[in-house]
Amino acid sequence: MESLEQVFNGIVKDFSERLYWHVRRMVNSHEDADDLLQDIFLKIWTALPSFRGEAQLYTWVWRIATNETLNHLRKERVRAALRMQSVDAEMERRIEADPFFNGTAAQRELAKGLAKLPEKQRQVFVMRWWDELSYEEISAITGTSVGALKASYHIAQEKIKLNLSDLDVSK
Amino acid sequence: MTKRNDISVPQGYFQNLEQRLSRIPQQEVRPTTFQKVSPWLAYAASLVVLASVGGFIFRKAAQPVQEEYSWDYLSYLSQSLDPDGWVELEESPELSDEDIINYLLADNNISLELLAEANYEENN
Repeated sequence: MESLEQVFNGIVKDFSERLYWHVRRMVNSHEDADDLLQDIFLKIWTALPSFRGEAQLYTWVWRIATNETLNHLRKERVRAALRMQSVDAEMERRIEADPFFNGTAAQRELAKGLAKLPEKQRQVFVMRWWDELSYEEISAITGTSVGALKASYHIAQEKIKLNLSDLDVSK
Repeated sequence: MTKRNDISVPQGYFQNLEQRLSRIPQQEVRPTTFQKVSPWLAYAASLVVLASVGGFIFRKAAQPVQEEYSWDYLSYLSQSLDPDGWVELEESPELSDEDIINYLLADNNISLELLAEANYEENN
Protein backbone atom coordinates (compact mmCIF):
# COMPACT_ATOMS: atom_id res chain seq x y z
CA MET A 1 0.00 0.00 0.00
CA GLU A 2 1.23 3.46 -0.94
CA SER A 3 2.20 5.89 1.82
CA LEU A 4 0.62 9.37 1.92
CA GLU A 5 3.88 10.84 0.74
CA GLN A 6 3.94 8.55 -2.28
CA VAL A 7 0.35 9.46 -3.12
CA PHE A 8 1.24 13.14 -2.75
CA ASN A 9 4.27 12.83 -5.01
CA GLY A 10 2.06 11.13 -7.58
CA ILE A 11 -0.33 14.08 -7.44
CA VAL A 12 2.58 16.51 -7.88
CA LYS A 13 3.81 14.57 -10.89
CA ASP A 14 0.38 14.27 -12.53
CA PHE A 15 -1.12 17.65 -11.74
CA SER A 16 1.50 20.34 -11.05
CA GLU A 17 2.07 21.49 -14.63
CA ARG A 18 -1.58 21.40 -15.62
CA LEU A 19 -2.66 23.27 -12.50
CA TYR A 20 0.10 25.82 -13.04
CA TRP A 21 -1.34 26.77 -16.43
CA HIS A 22 -4.84 27.03 -14.98
CA VAL A 23 -3.68 29.26 -12.12
CA ARG A 24 -1.45 31.33 -14.39
CA ARG A 25 -4.41 32.09 -16.72
CA MET A 26 -6.46 33.11 -13.71
CA VAL A 27 -3.94 35.39 -11.96
CA ASN A 28 -1.97 36.67 -14.98
CA SER A 29 1.40 36.59 -13.26
CA HIS A 30 4.07 33.89 -13.17
CA GLU A 31 5.23 34.85 -9.64
CA ASP A 32 1.69 34.86 -8.23
CA ALA A 33 0.91 31.56 -9.95
CA ASP A 34 4.06 30.02 -8.47
CA ASP A 35 3.19 31.21 -4.93
CA LEU A 36 -0.41 30.10 -5.28
CA LEU A 37 0.62 26.68 -6.51
CA GLN A 38 2.71 26.19 -3.36
CA ASP A 39 -0.36 27.06 -1.26
CA ILE A 40 -2.55 24.71 -3.30
CA PHE A 41 -0.19 21.74 -2.89
CA LEU A 42 0.28 22.51 0.79
CA LYS A 43 -3.49 22.37 1.15
CA ILE A 44 -3.61 19.11 -0.80
CA TRP A 45 -0.96 17.61 1.50
CA THR A 46 -2.76 18.80 4.64
CA ALA A 47 -6.13 17.51 3.43
CA LEU A 48 -4.84 14.25 1.97
CA PRO A 49 -5.48 12.13 5.11
CA SER A 50 -9.14 13.19 5.00
CA PHE A 51 -9.54 12.22 1.34
CA ARG A 52 -12.05 9.38 1.52
CA GLY A 53 -12.21 8.52 -2.13
CA GLU A 54 -15.90 9.40 -2.53
CA ALA A 55 -14.85 11.82 -5.25
CA GLN A 56 -12.27 10.93 -7.87
CA LEU A 57 -8.78 12.07 -6.94
CA TYR A 58 -8.75 14.11 -10.14
CA THR A 59 -11.93 15.99 -9.18
CA TRP A 60 -10.77 16.44 -5.57
CA VAL A 61 -7.41 17.95 -6.58
CA TRP A 62 -8.98 20.27 -9.14
CA ARG A 63 -11.61 21.37 -6.61
CA ILE A 64 -8.95 22.40 -4.10
CA ALA A 65 -7.01 24.25 -6.82
CA THR A 66 -10.01 26.15 -8.17
CA ASN A 67 -11.30 27.07 -4.71
CA GLU A 68 -7.90 28.33 -3.61
CA THR A 69 -7.56 30.35 -6.81
CA LEU A 70 -10.99 31.94 -6.38
CA ASN A 71 -10.18 32.77 -2.74
CA HIS A 72 -6.91 34.35 -3.84
CA LEU A 73 -8.69 36.50 -6.44
CA ARG A 74 -11.35 37.56 -3.94
CA LYS A 75 -8.67 38.59 -1.46
CA GLU A 76 -6.92 40.56 -4.20
CA ARG A 77 -10.18 42.33 -4.99
CA VAL A 78 -10.70 43.23 -1.32
CA ARG A 79 -7.10 44.42 -0.94
CA ALA A 80 -7.44 46.57 -4.06
CA ALA A 81 -10.72 48.04 -2.79
CA LEU A 82 -9.07 48.92 0.53
CA ARG A 83 -6.35 50.77 -1.38
CA MET A 84 -9.05 52.43 -3.49
CA GLN A 85 -7.60 50.74 -6.58
CA SER A 86 -9.18 48.77 -9.39
CA VAL A 87 -8.22 45.12 -9.62
CA ASP A 88 -9.10 45.17 -13.35
CA ALA A 89 -6.52 47.90 -13.96
CA GLU A 90 -3.96 45.90 -11.98
CA MET A 91 -4.67 42.79 -14.10
CA GLU A 92 -4.28 44.81 -17.28
CA ARG A 93 -0.99 46.21 -16.01
CA ARG A 94 0.24 42.68 -15.25
CA ILE A 95 -0.63 41.44 -18.74
CA GLU A 96 1.14 44.40 -20.33
CA ALA A 97 4.23 43.96 -18.16
CA ASP A 98 4.41 40.14 -18.19
CA PRO A 99 7.95 39.22 -19.34
CA PHE A 100 6.76 35.68 -20.14
CA PHE A 101 4.01 36.79 -22.51
CA ASN A 102 5.01 36.02 -26.07
CA GLY A 103 1.70 36.02 -27.87
CA THR A 104 0.23 38.29 -30.52
CA ALA A 105 -1.56 41.56 -29.91
CA ALA A 106 -4.86 39.73 -30.29
CA GLN A 107 -3.90 37.18 -27.66
CA ARG A 108 -2.94 39.97 -25.31
CA GLU A 109 -6.39 41.49 -25.85
CA LEU A 110 -7.97 38.09 -25.23
CA ALA A 111 -6.10 37.88 -21.92
CA LYS A 112 -7.25 41.38 -21.00
CA GLY A 113 -10.84 40.57 -21.92
CA LEU A 114 -10.64 37.42 -19.86
CA ALA A 115 -9.29 39.34 -16.87
CA LYS A 116 -12.32 41.64 -16.96
CA LEU A 117 -14.79 38.78 -16.51
CA PRO A 118 -16.25 38.02 -13.08
CA GLU A 119 -14.09 35.38 -11.33
CA LYS A 120 -16.47 32.45 -11.77
CA GLN A 121 -17.15 33.20 -15.42
CA ARG A 122 -13.44 33.51 -16.00
CA GLN A 123 -12.90 30.19 -14.26
CA VAL A 124 -15.44 28.39 -16.47
CA PHE A 125 -13.94 29.93 -19.59
CA VAL A 126 -10.36 29.00 -18.64
CA MET A 127 -11.36 25.44 -17.72
CA ARG A 128 -13.29 24.93 -20.95
CA TRP A 129 -11.19 26.89 -23.47
CA TRP A 130 -7.63 26.58 -22.14
CA ASP A 131 -7.71 23.52 -19.86
CA GLU A 132 -10.03 21.69 -22.31
CA LEU A 133 -12.10 20.07 -19.58
CA SER A 134 -15.52 18.74 -20.51
CA TYR A 135 -18.64 20.34 -19.05
CA GLU A 136 -19.22 17.16 -17.05
CA GLU A 137 -15.74 17.41 -15.53
CA ILE A 138 -16.18 21.11 -14.73
CA SER A 139 -19.58 20.33 -13.22
CA ALA A 140 -18.07 17.68 -10.92
CA ILE A 141 -15.30 20.08 -9.86
CA THR A 142 -17.38 23.21 -9.31
CA GLY A 143 -20.66 21.61 -8.21
CA THR A 144 -22.50 23.68 -10.84
CA SER A 145 -24.97 22.11 -13.27
CA VAL A 146 -23.90 21.52 -16.88
CA GLY A 147 -26.67 23.84 -18.10
CA ALA A 148 -25.51 26.71 -15.90
CA LEU A 149 -21.91 26.14 -17.02
CA LYS A 150 -22.89 26.23 -20.69
CA ALA A 151 -24.77 29.48 -20.13
CA SER A 152 -21.87 30.95 -18.22
CA TYR A 153 -19.37 29.93 -20.91
CA HIS A 154 -21.58 31.38 -23.64
CA ILE A 155 -21.87 34.73 -21.82
CA ALA A 156 -18.11 34.81 -21.22
CA GLN A 157 -17.44 34.04 -24.87
CA GLU A 158 -19.78 36.83 -26.01
CA LYS A 159 -18.13 39.36 -23.71
CA ILE A 160 -14.67 38.41 -24.95
CA LYS A 161 -15.81 38.58 -28.60
CA LEU A 162 -17.20 42.03 -27.95
CA ASN A 163 -13.88 43.04 -26.43
CA LEU A 164 -12.01 41.75 -29.49
CA SER A 165 -14.42 43.07 -32.12
CA ASP A 166 -12.72 46.48 -32.23
CA LEU A 167 -9.49 44.78 -33.22
CA ASP A 168 -11.24 42.48 -35.73
CA VAL A 169 -9.30 39.48 -34.45
CA SER A 170 -12.17 37.43 -33.08
CA LYS A 171 -12.09 34.92 -35.91
CA MET B 1 -9.60 32.64 -32.89
CA THR B 2 -7.03 29.84 -32.71
CA LYS B 3 -5.40 28.72 -29.51
CA ARG B 4 -1.65 29.13 -29.38
CA ASN B 5 0.63 29.11 -26.43
CA ASP B 6 0.99 32.76 -25.67
CA ILE B 7 2.61 32.52 -22.26
CA SER B 8 5.80 30.81 -21.20
CA VAL B 9 7.75 30.03 -18.06
CA PRO B 10 11.44 30.40 -17.15
CA GLN B 11 13.62 27.61 -18.51
CA GLY B 12 13.59 24.46 -16.39
CA TYR B 13 10.75 25.81 -14.27
CA PHE B 14 8.59 22.68 -14.22
CA GLN B 15 11.41 20.34 -13.17
CA ASN B 16 12.27 22.72 -10.38
CA LEU B 17 8.60 23.11 -9.44
CA GLU B 18 8.09 19.37 -9.12
CA GLN B 19 11.14 19.10 -6.86
CA ARG B 20 10.01 21.99 -4.66
CA LEU B 21 6.46 20.68 -4.33
CA SER B 22 7.70 17.18 -3.52
CA ARG B 23 9.56 18.60 -0.52
CA ILE B 24 6.33 19.86 1.09
CA PRO B 25 5.77 16.67 3.18
CA GLN B 26 9.23 17.00 4.77
CA GLN B 27 8.84 20.71 5.43
CA GLU B 28 5.31 20.68 6.68
CA VAL B 29 4.76 19.35 10.19
CA ARG B 30 1.28 17.95 10.47
CA PRO B 31 -0.78 19.55 13.25
CA THR B 32 -1.14 17.46 16.40
CA THR B 33 -4.58 16.46 17.68
CA PHE B 34 -4.32 19.19 20.33
CA GLN B 35 -3.49 21.81 17.66
CA LYS B 36 -6.46 20.62 15.64
CA VAL B 37 -8.90 20.90 18.56
CA SER B 38 -7.37 23.99 20.19
CA PRO B 39 -9.53 26.47 18.19
CA TRP B 40 -12.59 24.59 19.42
CA LEU B 41 -11.26 24.58 22.99
CA ALA B 42 -10.74 28.34 22.80
CA TYR B 43 -14.27 28.71 21.45
CA ALA B 44 -15.71 26.56 24.26
CA ALA B 45 -13.72 28.48 26.90
CA SER B 46 -14.98 31.83 25.63
CA LEU B 47 -18.55 30.48 25.75
CA VAL B 48 -18.06 29.46 29.40
CA VAL B 49 -16.68 32.91 30.27
CA LEU B 50 -19.56 34.61 28.45
CA ALA B 51 -22.13 32.41 30.21
CA SER B 52 -20.55 33.10 33.64
CA VAL B 53 -20.39 36.87 33.14
CA GLY B 54 -23.88 36.92 31.62
CA GLY B 55 -25.26 34.84 34.51
CA PHE B 56 -23.62 37.12 37.08
CA ILE B 57 -25.04 40.25 35.43
CA PHE B 58 -28.46 38.63 35.14
CA ARG B 59 -28.49 37.61 38.82
CA LYS B 60 -27.43 41.09 39.89
CA ALA B 61 -30.13 42.68 37.76
CA ALA B 62 -32.76 40.32 39.12
CA GLN B 63 -31.95 41.07 42.80
CA PRO B 64 -34.53 43.21 44.65
CA VAL B 65 -33.38 46.81 45.00
CA GLN B 66 -33.84 46.95 48.77
CA GLU B 67 -31.46 44.07 49.23
CA GLU B 68 -28.72 46.08 47.63
CA TYR B 69 -29.26 48.91 50.08
CA SER B 70 -29.89 46.80 53.16
CA TRP B 71 -28.33 47.91 56.39
CA ASP B 72 -25.74 45.15 56.31
CA TYR B 73 -24.80 46.11 52.80
CA LEU B 74 -24.35 49.78 53.71
CA SER B 75 -22.26 48.81 56.74
CA TYR B 76 -20.16 46.60 54.58
CA LEU B 77 -19.82 49.35 52.00
CA SER B 78 -18.75 51.98 54.54
CA GLN B 79 -16.18 49.56 55.91
CA SER B 80 -14.87 48.91 52.46
CA LEU B 81 -14.63 52.59 51.68
CA ASP B 82 -12.82 53.34 54.91
CA PRO B 83 -10.92 50.20 55.77
CA ASP B 84 -8.86 51.87 58.51
CA GLY B 85 -11.77 53.01 60.58
CA TRP B 86 -14.95 51.13 61.26
CA VAL B 87 -17.85 53.40 60.61
CA GLU B 88 -20.74 52.44 62.77
CA LEU B 89 -23.99 53.02 61.04
CA GLU B 90 -26.86 53.33 63.43
CA GLU B 91 -30.46 53.04 62.52
CA SER B 92 -32.30 56.28 63.11
CA PRO B 93 -34.49 56.17 66.21
CA GLU B 94 -38.14 56.20 65.38
CA LEU B 95 -39.60 59.66 64.95
CA SER B 96 -41.90 60.83 67.71
CA ASP B 97 -44.99 62.95 67.14
CA GLU B 98 -43.17 65.84 68.74
CA ASP B 99 -40.37 65.58 66.20
CA ILE B 100 -42.86 65.71 63.38
CA ILE B 101 -44.65 68.71 64.84
CA ASN B 102 -41.36 70.57 65.34
CA TYR B 103 -40.39 69.80 61.76
CA LEU B 104 -43.68 71.01 60.35
CA LEU B 105 -43.60 74.19 62.40
CA ALA B 106 -40.00 74.98 61.55
CA ASP B 107 -39.86 74.25 57.87
CA ASN B 108 -43.29 74.22 56.40
CA ASN B 109 -44.88 77.39 57.57
CA ILE B 110 -47.80 75.57 59.16
CA SER B 111 -49.59 77.45 61.92
CA LEU B 112 -50.20 76.12 65.43
CA GLU B 113 -53.93 76.53 64.91
CA LEU B 114 -53.90 74.27 61.92
CA LEU B 115 -51.91 71.64 63.76
CA ALA B 116 -54.21 71.82 66.74
CA GLU B 117 -57.19 71.39 64.44
CA ALA B 118 -55.59 68.36 62.75
CA ASN B 119 -54.70 66.88 66.12
CA TYR B 120 -58.24 67.39 67.34
CA GLU B 121 -59.73 65.64 64.30
CA GLU B 122 -57.33 62.72 64.64
CA ASN B 123 -58.17 62.17 68.31
CA ASN B 124 -61.97 62.39 67.89
